[in-house]
Amino acid sequence: MNLLLEKLKEVLLAVLPITVLVLVLNFLFVSLSWFLIFRFVIGSFLIVVGLSAFLFGVSIGISPIGNFMGTFIAKTNKLWIVAVAGLVLGFFISIAEPALHIHALQVELVSSGILSSGSVVITASIGIAVFLSLGLIRIVFNVALKKLMTVSYGIILILSLFSSRELLAISFDASGATTGAMTVPFIVTLAAGISVLKRDSRSSENDSFGLLGIASAGAIISVLLVGLVSTNNTMEAAPVYFASESSEILGYFFDLMPRIASEVLLSLLPILLAFLLLQFSSLRLSKRMLRQITVGLLFTFVGMVIFLVGVNGGFMDVGREIGYGIASMGNKSILVLVGMILGLVTILAEPSVYVLTHQIEDVTSGAVKRRIVLLALSAGVGLAVALSMIRIAVPAVQLWHFLLPGYAISIVLSFFSPKLFVGIAFDAGGVASGPMTGTFVIAFAQGAASAIEGANVLIDAFGLISMVAMTPIIALQILGLIYKIKTRKRGVESSG
Amino acid sequence: MASNKNISPYKLIYAVVNFGKGSEVLRIARENGISGGTILLGRGTVRSGLLNFFALYEIRKEIVLIVANNRTAKSLLEALDREMMLDRPDHGIAFTVDIQEVEGSKELGCNSLQEGRGEKEIMYQLITVIVDRGKAEEVIDAATEMGSKGGTVINARGSGVHERSTLFAMEIEPEKEIVMIVSKKELTQTIVNKIREKLRIDEPGKGIIFIQDVGDAYGLLK
Repeated sequence: MNLLLEKLKEVLLAVLPITVLVLVLNFLFVSLSWFLIFRFVIGSFLIVVGLSAFLFGVSIGISPIGNFMGTFIAKTNKLWIVAVAGLVLGFFISIAEPALHIHALQVELVSSGILSSGSVVITASIGIAVFLSLGLIRIVFNVALKKLMTVSYGIILILSLFSSRELLAISFDASGATTGAMTVPFIVTLAAGISVLKRDSRSSENDSFGLLGIASAGAIISVLLVGLVSTNNTMEAAPVYFASESSEILGYFFDLMPRIASEVLLSLLPILLAFLLLQFSSLRLSKRMLRQITVGLLFTFVGMVIFLVGVNGGFMDVGREIGYGIASMGNKSILVLVGMILGLVTILAEPSVYVLTHQIEDVTSGAVKRRIVLLALSAGVGLAVALSMIRIAVPAVQLWHFLLPGYAISIVLSFFSPKLFVGIAFDAGGVASGPMTGTFVIAFAQGAASAIEGANVLIDAFGLISMVAMTPIIALQILGLIYKIKTRKRGVESSG
Repeated sequence: MASNKNISPYKLIYAVVNFGKGSEVLRIARENGISGGTILLGRGTVRSGLLNFFALYEIRKEIVLIVANNRTAKSLLEALDREMMLDRPDHGIAFTVDIQEVEGSKELGCNSLQEGRGEKEIMYQLITVIVDRGKAEEVIDAATEMGSKGGTVINARGSGVHERSTLFAMEIEPEKEIVMIVSKKELTQTIVNKIREKLRIDEPGKGIIFIQDVGDAYGLLK
């Protein structure tokens, strides 16, 4: 019982800050209707329950599957199996990701149909597939992550010189969207499952991370490429309509349920199928392990559904209202400040963040503490949202003004930061852009954009995910540098 | 350093505590004049019907290894017992194993004060089993069947003479699991026999078992 309570406490501490912040904002700046507040509180409650169940399910269900799969793939000792496994897993995992489909639909709107949603989904999935495959091959052949990242982002840089700002935002966001809450734990543990085999424990530790970052880069490249070829760079933003509010409180949540449940089921399906295939072809786990994984998957499913219902039903409209309210006050510095605090606290409630930070503790035997990684992540995302608010408030500031230097800095840092942190950092980029940011923070940005003249709701909200995916890479690599310096000093002291 | 043949001058302290408490153990150790320790991550068994129903069979643990001379070890164990409340269930356990010699630490202190503390009767023994990854569960099951209260599992790598190999460009070592079980002395042999029989340890390549005497122990279930 102790253990379940502890999980619940952990999650409560993660969700409480955002809940308190919204309520404070409500009394200070924007007064929301009681109806919205009530829904928000119910939403928070659902998020706490859902997140606890989800995380529990991941730790006993998805993570073992990823580990088994990674080890199995590597042990075949056949290059083509590693390559094909990467391609197949990558493609199906990302094509089943609900966030990608939502993103693709918005892209179709923005591009007035030139980029159909189907083509965006397939393009991004192919990108993920190819790069996941490359990422797996990198691990087994001991290729340094920074080399692969430098080449990938070099290509992205060259491509982005030719692409319009809309296309740039769309591609970066597509990569953020594909690395959803289901994908992240699976990919992270897949990498760990392979690298745990390595004899050299240092490289075993280092190579546990980075696979997610590589996969994300793949989606950016593929969408940029296809976008450049098919659109001739012309995109016009179309007007957007938001769904109208339902007036029943509880009914609202129930209405969301079936759609979300089927989405979550779909995103879980590739992992489940891959596991069944493995189990019946060669793995043959013990009965107890099978039972554990089944229960884990069940918890993952139920938890994610409850979580998403909470976020969509309780948080989205509130985010939009607050964004609108604060932006229409006309004081831009308050908007930037609130954006920053929002970013700081929202990331704490992001499911994948837990998965990654726990994985980090496991791999490093607790040497890299969760809390410190959380701090860096939080600072990074806070900065990202603040910069995005500046972008919305000041039309002259463009997304690429931040993105390109940001990624340039990330690459340069990767040559100085410890390898372990380079991997963690690029993974964290994919992790930060999960369902919580994807709904709540985006809704906030959309709300703000709709209140400011000259800001375009969709274009400006696009690109937010890109920012959130980029800043943690920098923040965590800086953390790595600090670690490097600190541990060196400590070594001197103890030998003196 | 002249070491007494029968009574060892040093103790290796094992403290198995819940995840996140390892640093606290080290802090208490430091307060008792010990300069350092090593923390490993492990998994402990869970014996709650409710949790097992939720397929929760394991809980993350931290294992802290500390070397100390006899006197410090004793006071540290008492401090740990007091501050970490080891007497309550699920707060962790701590026990010591004799070691003969230590190199590489100046701060253990000369052990001249070690007086003829009469050889205490050994009540517990530490059974360590090293098996291939995935087999720890069977080891624990076998031990529990024979009356053990549980065990701690540590992930490890390693290999016998024939096992090293390469996959692609990676040199690999087979994954292992280390199972540590503290058992009452009179139960040790039956537990070990059961494990030997169940995991066919006597066949080559199936794993190894070794047994050490435990000095003082706190937090063990009666």
